[in-house]
Amino acid sequence: MYNIWILTVQHLGLTLAGVGLAILIGVPIGYLITGNRWVAQLVMGFTDMMQTIPALALLALLMLWMGLGDTPLVVALLMYSLLPIVRNSYVGIMGIDGALIEAAKGMGMTRWQLLRMVQLPIALPVIMSGVRVATVTAIGIAAIGVLIGAGGLGAPIWRGMQQMNTAMILSGAVPAALLAVASDAGLSKLEQAITPRGFRNIASQNT
Amino acid sequence: MKMISFSQFLFMNSTAIITATVQHLYLALGSELIGCLIAIPLGIWLTSRKKLADYFLAVTGTIQTIPSLALLGFVLPLFGIGPLPAMIVLVLYSLLPILRNTYTGITGVNPSYIEAGTGAGMNSRQLLWMVKLPLALPIIMAGIRISTVYLISWATLAAFIGAGGLGDLIITGIQTADANFIIAGTIPTAFLAIGAGWMLGKVEMVLTPREGLIVSDEGR
Amino acid sequence: MVIFKAVSKHYNGHIAVKNLNLNVKEGEFVTLIGPSGCGKTTTLKMVNRLVEPTEGDILINGRNIRDTDPVALRRQIGYVIQQIGLFPHMTVEENITVVPTLLEWPATKRRARGHELLDMAGMDPVIYANRYPSELSGGQQQRIGVLRALAADPPLILMDEPFGALDPISREVLQDELKSLQKRLHKTIIFVTHDMDEALKLADRVVVMREGEVIQEATPEELLRKPADDFVASFVGKSRRNDSKLLIVEQVMQPNPVTVLPSVGLAQCLTLMKRKRVDTVLVVDEEGVLIGGVSIETLDREHQRAYRIGEIADHNLVTVLNSTPAKDAFDLMVGDQLKYLPVVDEHRHLRGLVTRTSMVNAMASVVWGDEND
Ligand SMILES: Nc1ncnc2c1ncn2[C@@H]1O[C@H](COP(=O)(O)OP(=O)(O)OP(=O)(O)O)[C@@H](O)[C@H]1O
Ligand SMILES: [Mg+2]
Repeated sequence: MYNIWILTVQHLGLTLAGVGLAILIGVPIGYLITGNRWVAQLVMGFTDMMQTIPALALLALLMLWMGLGDTPLVVALLMYSLLPIVRNSYVGIMGIDGALIEAAKGMGMTRWQLLRMVQLPIALPVIMSGVRVATVTAIGIAAIGVLIGAGGLGAPIWRGMQQMNTAMILSGAVPAALLAVASDAGLSKLEQAITPRGFRNIASQNT
Repeated sequence: MKMISFSQFLFMNSTAIITATVQHLYLALGSELIGCLIAIPLGIWLTSRKKLADYFLAVTGTIQTIPSLALLGFVLPLFGIGPLPAMIVLVLYSLLPILRNTYTGITGVNPSYIEAGTGAGMNSRQLLWMVKLPLALPIIMAGIRISTVYLISWATLAAFIGAGGLGDLIITGIQTADANFIIAGTIPTAFLAIGAGWMLGKVEMVLTPREGLIVSDEGR
Repeated sequence: MVIFKAVSKHYNGHIAVKNLNLNVKEGEFVTLIGPSGCGKTTTLKMVNRLVEPTEGDILINGRNIRDTDPVALRRQIGYVIQQIGLFPHMTVEENITVVPTLLEWPATKRRARGHELLDMAGMDPVIYANRYPSELSGGQQQRIGVLRALAADPPLILMDEPFGALDPISREVLQDELKSLQKRLHKTIIFVTHDMDEALKLADRVVVMREGEVIQEATPEELLRKPADDFVASFVGKSRRNDSKLLIVEQVMQPNPVTVLPSVGLAQCLTLMKRKRVDTVLVVDEEGVLIGGVSIETLDREHQRAYRIGEIADHNLVTVLNSTPAKDAFDLMVGDQLKYLPVVDEHRHLRGLVTRTSMVNAMASVVWGDEND
């Protein structure tokens, strides 16, 4: 039988690796493309296209290229997580009132200080909601990773399906579902927690 | 095993590819249709029951987060293998976008239109068909578009439980490490998804009304 | 202290500022005034290099600002932007002490400075220091915007319509505060406004601009006595005449409001309202005597109980006489938060209607002059 604890930790590890890389790459991309409308459209269009490729197909293509194992899965998770993270970073930063940027520059902030003190804190809740969507999606895709020989909770589900072994299926499906639901709930809590008080008031006034 | 060229492959497997594509469409669009038949009336019914609506939206939202393989794993012991359990899963996934957009589309209709309608003596059924639904239609359509595109992509997973579709080709490709099968499954899926998104986007634009009835000038 | 030498700014062909020469002395309060789009903001932003001049030089304390690092330059100049621009995610105290933070003052010193400034503006630090901008009134927000510019004690402060979005009363209060502040602290201030009253009240020197050019620069007294040309004269004159105090409602109302007879049916009334695109109608009898008003909400609420408009009209409308001073009518509307105010004569005949739109139009024509005069 499978050790579900180990598989759960593996599953979470793969997800975090993919999403973590997507944050490291996606947030800077989202920030950099705010400088150029045209490039922004191009990047968004490309990541949009990526999303219409079914996860199964992307995994298969990556397998052809990189062989079996965890690596192609993590790359697939990274690619899928990029869209919500790039998009939300871009939207979050672009959505900031131009007056705030002007005030910040007028007071003598450098580009870096502007980013750190104004743009990131204000865009953070929006970026976080992108991270949440990416994480939940990634947990789902990681389960399919079993087909290309990656670890995680997909293995008992897939084997169970082939052997028509309900207990085995559920031993993977239940923790996978719980993991996804719990991550979603936990990350929405975090999203609320990092929204500054002053900002929540404004948001509620405007809606 | 010697690899054959893609054109040779297409020639030899054209019937299989066409069958898979038809199956795929049947799975995705059939589920979408059932999803609409459930979620739109439900969404309308919920508009006057806010508490219940929040509850339903939370439940469908939670379903949405469950990994697809896990969801397939839940239905398989209950319904066995084949197209039926696959479609059940796809229908479950289609619910959230349609339900949410129906509900928010209708509850978001500007109250002045509803006032005008009631003022003109419409009863609640007429109000729904003549005012609320037409005004909410673009938003409902957006929900249908989003869920259709997703379902076409997710329908590849139906192959896991023997329901056929383009996912079959991809899984065969993975198991035999044959690029031809993988590409023959991937490209039609992507085209179907993009095409459906584009077409439904057009429908959405046609359905969006130009201008409102009453432009409420500030108090006069 | 600040010298503009033949400064121009072009935006791809369009000239925003044209050959500007100006010498702002140390401790002087200079106001830039002119109609919308005349280049006031552009002039101001060239001083802290948010905008680079196309031609000419700007010197601060004898030094060409082109040779100064823009970031360092800006930290030495206070800046109040037109839209206030307080950071929503920072507390009041954090907002005020942004520049000290950038200058890496120690935390205790920053804090003391924040509290000192709040005290100075009459806002108790115990109450306000930890609030967020969204928890302040408009007037308080503008005060914080000004305090933020003062925080690092810069000798030069640029202010772009800092009191623009305020009601007249808070505006006067803040103007008085600013004036006394400047007397005490001897700051050099360049202040943009398009309100001549404000310019004359605050300035040591007024610079009148039009289409990117300086038309006249003079002390307030000189400007009133010897306006350089008709443009300046009308600009000053409009404000001095203070028309809003003399106008009566008859001159600012809309003469033909949408009316119905009390015998009109509800459905017919609804059609009329739709066609005229209004959400309220006034009910008058055959003689033109005002009976009441009906809003679309009432119409909607009562449509099952009534047949005729007369049955559901609101008879307790607040009205004014046609000879009432416009200012009193406006005060009434603002004070009682009325959406509209019917104007009647002594016999209660309906003469017209004052709406918020007519109010704004009337105020605008006082400030900028009628389009056709
Ligand atoms: N970034 C820009 N690009 C192009 N044109 C600009 C830009 N900024 C300002 N302008 C133009 O330059 C002129 C002067 O603008 P400026 O903002 O200085 O006016 P202003 O006097 O401050 O007006 P207001 O009273 O409305 O604030 C205007 O015609 C404006 O359209
Ligand atoms: Mg301006």
